[in-house]
Amino acid sequence: MNLKIVTLQVNGRTHQVALAPNVTLLYALRDLGYTDVKNGCEKGDCGACTVMLGDKIINSCLMLAWLAEDKPILTVAGLGTAEHPHPLQQAFVDFGAAQCGYCIPGMILSAKGLLDEHPQPSDEEIREAISGNLCRCTGYIRAFEAIRAAAEQIALQGDGQRVMHPLPGAMEEEPANVIPQDDSRGVIE
Amino acid sequence: MREFDLVIPKSLPDALDALAANDVIVQPLAGGTDMIVNIRARVAQPNVLVSLNDIAELREIRRDNGTIVVGGGARIADFLKHPLLIENAEIARQAAFHFANPMIRNLATAAGNLASASPAGDMSPPLLALGAEVALASKAGTRTLPLDQFFISVRKTARRPDEIISALRWQVPPQHTGHAFYKMGLRAADAISVISVAVVIERAGDTIREARLALGAVAPRPMRAYQAEALLNSQKFTDAIVQEAARLASEECSPIDDLRGTASYRRRMVKVYVARMLRQAWERAK
Repeated sequence: MNLKIVTLQVNGRTHQVALAPNVTLLYALRDLGYTDVKNGCEKGDCGACTVMLGDKIINSCLMLAWLAEDKPILTVAGLGTAEHPHPLQQAFVDFGAAQCGYCIPGMILSAKGLLDEHPQPSDEEIREAISGNLCRCTGYIRAFEAIRAAAEQIALQGDGQRVMHPLPGAMEEEPANVIPQDDSRGVIE
Repeated sequence: MREFDLVIPKSLPDALDALAANDVIVQPLAGGTDMIVNIRARVAQPNVLVSLNDIAELREIRRDNGTIVVGGGARIADFLKHPLLIENAEIARQAAFHFANPMIRNLATAAGNLASASPAGDMSPPLLALGAEVALASKAGTRTLPLDQFFISVRKTARRPDEIISALRWQVPPQHTGHAFYKMGLRAADAISVISVAVVIERAGDTIREARLALGAVAPRPMRAYQAEALLNSQKFTDAIVQEAARLASEECSPIDDLRGTASYRRRMVKVYVARMLRQAWERAK
């Protein structure tokens, strides 16, 4: 096996991992403990594995991990904490938008991708934005309402999002299977 | 997933060198939205993948006098967001909006969609209707083919294994050109076309200066409806000619029965939607 040490920047943390070329970003992230990234269809149909790579949402099951090297990766766990949830996360709780919850990490990141580009989306744009996130429980109504409410709140108050860029020289080896809960190097806006 | 090696060249010459190796199966990797799925399904069995994702010149989107040049690495999302493409590829913008879903659109490339050569490929009819050409680059040099000659059959193209689509090109649409695209899917997103219809029409007063009409998912390859086009060109736009062009288009395609629809249904829908798209494009060409 042709292993390479790959630097992955996930939720503001830097990991160095030895990976074979055929490992997808999805498996690399889950093996690092980012199990908030879900494995659904592995075909790009379901959206459960959605992450943000740079400023774009992608299906991590379709990307080889080597190609994600040195690019900022955001998973839903990096969006906020239990104490300081992102407005989208809080809205999903408030609206009871999750049932089994499997699609929710991807759906929230798709919504973030939308709001980053269109802070005041139309109803149609919200529906379109989550069209690649299949949910077999909820019928989408509450997720849709949660995203609309979060958009309104962010428009009023900002999203309080932590800056994702790691500090210069911040290179730290993380033991595998530890979920980074909080990142003191992140800056609270 | 099957084992393979992955090389990530930073320049086009390095990529073409890597693709020229003939002792193993080498395949280019663009967005990966088809390739990774195909490898998992063992449809593709490469020994080496050559990533085209870190080659800056493949991401170029520019206007070169009267020609729009889109690098082979341009994403589907670029057709929705890039000002030059919004202005000069209206029909491709309409198709991109119906392409899979937002995540896939951020990864998948237009060139990759053409190279996959699915009869139902979403970007093929709009790019055929724009009269696009593909530039095929290899270590031996670059050749250019009209897109219509690029498609050979189901998932077969004129691309040799050592070539990549380095660029797509088409002429800036003249003034008074109208675009209309329709995709019939079984749902709004993440759908494979039952049929698709792309019409680009250039208008001169009440006369059709030139019409290009392309169909998807109704033949072994994405196709131009040349008989219908020949009927329309240089003629007055009338209800009768629209009906006759739609009938010709539905006859010159060769659809099959599959789980998304029957051949006879597809043929009838081609007739209906060619007529509708001709009228829409005509109205927009004012």
